[in-house]
Amino acid sequence: MKETSLHELMEKLMGTEIKAELLRLFHMNPGILDTVESIARRIGRMPNDVETEISSLVELGVLRKERFGSLDVVSLNTSKDREIMKKVAALIERGAEG
Amino acid sequence: MRAPTGISELDAMLHGGLMRGDVTLVVGSAGTGKTTLALQYLVNGATKFNENGLYITFEQMPAQIYRDAASFGWDIRKLEAEGKLRVVCTSPPVLAQFVESRNPIDAIIAEIDAKRIVVDSISHLESFIPAPELRGELYRLVNHLKMKELTSIFTSESHEVFGNHRVVTGVGLSFLVDCIILLRVVEIQSSLKKALTILKIRGSDHDKQLREFEITPQGIEIREPFAQYEGVLTGAPRKSFTEETVSAWTKAFVGKP
Repeated sequence: MKETSLHELMEKLMGTEIKAELLRLFHMNPGILDTVESIARRIGRMPNDVETEISSLVELGVLRKERFGSLDVVSLNTSKDREIMKKVAALIERGAEG
Repeated sequence: MRAPTGISELDAMLHGGLMRGDVTLVVGSAGTGKTTLALQYLVNGATKFNENGLYITFEQMPAQIYRDAASFGWDIRKLEAEGKLRVVCTSPPVLAQFVESRNPIDAIIAEIDAKRIVVDSISHLESFIPAPELRGELYRLVNHLKMKELTSIFTSESHEVFGNHRVVTGVGLSFLVDCIILLRVVEIQSSLKKALTILKIRGSDHDKQLREFEITPQGIEIREPFAQYEGVLTGAPRKSFTEETVSAWTKAFVGKP
């Protein structure tokens, strides 16, 4: 199986400005447990613009989306996030060595 | 029976601390110290009384809470890493679903075995839940917390800085909660001071004095009562005549009393 390159991983994580903003928001505030609409408000964006990017980060495993009553609630998947950040660090290190 | 706040003078006023399992409403206008008092209650619970806590905030981001708490020497991130405290940043619609079964907030309470909870501030729920349903929803929330045997603090924003406060919401939250602590800004001799009083505790006596308090680098510290002033709660107190003043006045202008 082809190993993910640093470029590919960074593209998936922070390929757009909104994704980068979302990652920054959740890393600085790991206790966020909120709806897409409220998260969009917290980064000063429109819900429609944020929804796709959140779905992409959920697919990657960094964020988690759960049904909570009548709402979909998004939060940081701390263990998976830690794992991905370690992977990024390792790829950067390997890149620096090579 | 009691959950001490760890603010010694406040615990003395409460005759030992908050009643365990009760819901306390801390009411005050912006900048009176509601969040500081609530955080201090949780930090002291986690560090001094082995009672873990959950802090639920709406508008204020956790990063800001970590920073503000650090200015009092409270390392919230460390307490979170130790599983003693958790900061959850959410919005009123999510909190309103808190009473649903299998919800993530209950999961956090169970995970850290929380005994204390703060909702900062309950006023935000008012803007989300339609007025006819608000009292019922708050009643449900209060009972949900009581069933979990959590000792809770709700903060509530009062819009009036001075003068007569509409102490609590129009939905009768004051009847739903067990204890009310009122924080006020008052003007005394051309400077602003902070005042604290306990309006009620269900099923317990308490200190009824109005006490001055300060937000110090260590958190809230309660000072002496405003003994020489009357009408402090109006925001514009006047000096009351002590027996000593009356005696001196009489001596000077009337002759020997």
